[in-house]
Amino acid sequence: MTMANEVQQKIDNYLSRLRAALPGLPEDEARDIVEELRSHITEKTSSSISAGGTGSLAAVDATLAALGSPEELGRQYRTDALLGRTEGSRSPFRILRGLFQWAGLSFAGFFVLLGSIFGYFFGAVFTLVALMKPIHPQSAGLWMIPRGSDFEISFRLGFGSVPPGGKDLLGWWTIPVGLLAGGTLTLLTTAVALWLIRQYRKRLMLPKGAA
Amino acid sequence: MKERETRDLEPGEKWEVQLRKGCLELAILAALWDGKRYGLEILRRLERDSDLIVSEGTVYPLLSRLKAMELVRSEWVESEGGHPRKYYSLTTAGKHRAIEMSAIWTRFSASMSRLLAPLAKGK
Repeated sequence: MTMANEVQQKIDNYLSRLRAALPGLPEDEARDIVEELRSHITEKTSSSISAGGTGSLAAVDATLAALGSPEELGRQYRTDALLGRTEGSRSPFRILRGLFQWAGLSFAGFFVLLGSIFGYFFGAVFTLVALMKPIHPQSAGLWMIPRGSDFEISFRLGFGSVPPGGKDLLGWWTIPVGLLAGGTLTLLTTAVALWLIRQYRKRLMLPKGAA
Repeated sequence: MKERETRDLEPGEKWEVQLRKGCLELAILAALWDGKRYGLEILRRLERDSDLIVSEGTVYPLLSRLKAMELVRSEWVESEGGHPRKYYSLTTAGKHRAIEMSAIWTRFSASMSRLLAPLAKGK
């Protein structure tokens, strides 16, 4: 193999590892990133050869080492692109998808994901109760069930039946109250998750990685 | 992950890394103040005038973020050497941001200097 081939191969290898570290980015953005880094490597390498002394292999090795690993570089681009996309969306499903990916990239993401799952879960449960009330009026809702001399408060989605003596605490109010609580909780979770993403991006002008 | 890497560093070094990170955005905006530059030019400028750069790779994702925030714009230009270069320049919002950040920096560093003056004499 000639020296020039070997140099070219090192560059191509680095760039294809970088490309592989950019999944989920739109094709044109990923290509743009790879071409920008190719331009950097080409120019830096040739200028350090002409500056003197170094052979082309040593020059390309030094250039690539100064850039850091392509996987780390890809991770920095990915975190950015991901949070940018998620920040621009309002749908709980897209936010959750973004948070799942963020959770894989950092601890902060993991905790935001947990909180959001919790919020969306209860938002969905309250909404579901409101929707089930007209179908199963005898069992969906908030019930007070006698237990010996005591009472138990039971929240029921409408599956199965309520034990005898149970008292429907909200009656038909279950529908507006359930819808309002479910909707509010869903909107609140979305707003808090987006706010945390924005704070995280602002605070860490550079995410984990290098200085 | 960075947390794990920095844990091996001395507390003083770790703080210095955080400090450099925090300044890099302003440094890049400042490097574009007097006209458009491409990535390697920005890097050379920062290396010449500052010791902010530890890993060269970091500058590129940061440029892409500044672009997403619409503080800079970019264009590909063919060089005389034949290979294309991606040039960055400040947008109006980027200029405002740079001015704003530099005012905060100046105020902050002046007050830190006043506060630290006795430490320098004590040595």
